[in-house]
Amino acid sequence: MGYVFDLRGVLSGQYLDWFVIGVATTLALTCVAWCLAMAMGIILTLIRMIPLPPLGWFVALYVEYHRNVPLLVQILIWYFGVPSLLPRPARQWINAHHGEFLLAAIALGLASAAYIAEDIRSGIRSIPKAQYEAARSIGFGYLGAMGYVVLPQAMRIAIPPLINQTLLLFKNTSLAMAIGVGELTYRTREVESYTFKTFEAFAVATVIYLLISFGIMALGSYSDRRLKLETR
Amino acid sequence: MKLLSIPGLAALATLAALLAGTAVTAAKADQLADIKARGKLICGTLGTAEPFSFQHPQTRQIVGYDVDICQKVADSLGVTLELKPIAVEARIPELTQGRVDILAANLGYTPERAQQIDFSYSYFVSQQKLMVTKESGITTLDKLAGKKVTALKGSSSEQGVRRLIPTAETVTFQDTSSAYLALVQDKVDAFCASELILVKLRQQSQAKTPMVVIEKSLFVEPWGLGLRRGETAFKDHVNGVLTKLASSGEIDTVFSKWLGAGTAFDIKRDFPIEEIKG
Repeated sequence: MGYVFDLRGVLSGQYLDWFVIGVATTLALTCVAWCLAMAMGIILTLIRMIPLPPLGWFVALYVEYHRNVPLLVQILIWYFGVPSLLPRPARQWINAHHGEFLLAAIALGLASAAYIAEDIRSGIRSIPKAQYEAARSIGFGYLGAMGYVVLPQAMRIAIPPLINQTLLLFKNTSLAMAIGVGELTYRTREVESYTFKTFEAFAVATVIYLLISFGIMALGSYSDRRLKLETR
Repeated sequence: MKLLSIPGLAALATLAALLAGTAVTAAKADQLADIKARGKLICGTLGTAEPFSFQHPQTRQIVGYDVDICQKVADSLGVTLELKPIAVEARIPELTQGRVDILAANLGYTPERAQQIDFSYSYFVSQQKLMVTKESGITTLDKLAGKKVTALKGSSSEQGVRRLIPTAETVTFQDTSSAYLALVQDKVDAFCASELILVKLRQQSQAKTPMVVIEKSLFVEPWGLGLRRGETAFKDHVNGVLTKLASSGEIDTVFSKWLGAGTAFDIKRDFPIEEIKG
């Protein structure tokens, strides 16, 4: 009795639907978490630039927590821990509105933000301090100098590491299956447990993950080429 | 940035070929002879499901009803028993890929499963029920239409909910404790599992979050030992062992040791040991 590799069994009827739903959920989760991560990453960087020690400590603590606690643990804390601190109506609202998706997006986004903040900070460090001082001396405030002069350049320099973070974030969405988010890995396991075509199901998932990853990389390298700073 | 190099593609192709190769070599000639020659029966079991297969608090050994049944099979062959703890959703792959000889792992009969593996005669019959919080006020199965129902990933309970309450949304978790916690925190409306699991959980949560197990079973599920397909000699032998356990009354001794009076479950065996008909 040899093993027959047969993709049709996992790529037809309801199983195909499950894969499609899984891919859509994975992409949606990646997008929502990514927007949150970018926003939070920039905010953290700006806070860190303010010369007030307690703020710096806060950001350092934030980054260390999110980088040193396993992501799966963070997701479980957000799903099982945080809602129980909320008042009852808020909890019910979350439970009624796909709380697992929202909480997974928050957990993934906040964790990625820690890495993104570090990447942007490296970008900012590579911009000579004189540019910031020059901007201040011609009348820009702190936010103006950062927003118009330093950050636009820093973000461009930070593009390659940011693409890396995006890829990591995309792959990490698979951890959300632990709290019942119906993303690609969750759906794959479902297909597997119905069809018992383990190898085929995961082969399909692998190819999908690879294709999307390549897509992100291609998009990243395109924007890197378009937006690269001219080096003198 | 170059996306895929030629060596990269070649490596992928080799990997795929290797995986396919290992899958093919898993096929065996005659399992019964193999086990006897090896002197060891490898039994896949859950290790986390009291009273079927769980770690004894003192001895740290995996014990239970499933384990005892496997022991009887090993004894009848005159070989030693080796237990291999496996996850719920890994049961059938572990068996078909030849990493275990036999499954005694809360394995309910489903037609889908019967296409992948052979089932022995039934050695247990489980009532699949639903547990809800008392607060929810749900008392009958039809109230669960359109609600969120949780079950263990890859379990027959999950498939049963899908089949019998098609409007319900299933949310699956890796282990009993996560699914239970989701129910306690109102993230889901009901938890579908074997009655025995639910009874135990209800006892434990009585003080903090009162739970109700809905009286009517969602479905009744015979459990068999899982065997690789086409191993007729081994299957006949295992069925012979089970039939003998039933005729000698030995099955009742084993049953009452784990599930009878004096245990937390306190139930009587009310099912026959017989062929499972799909």
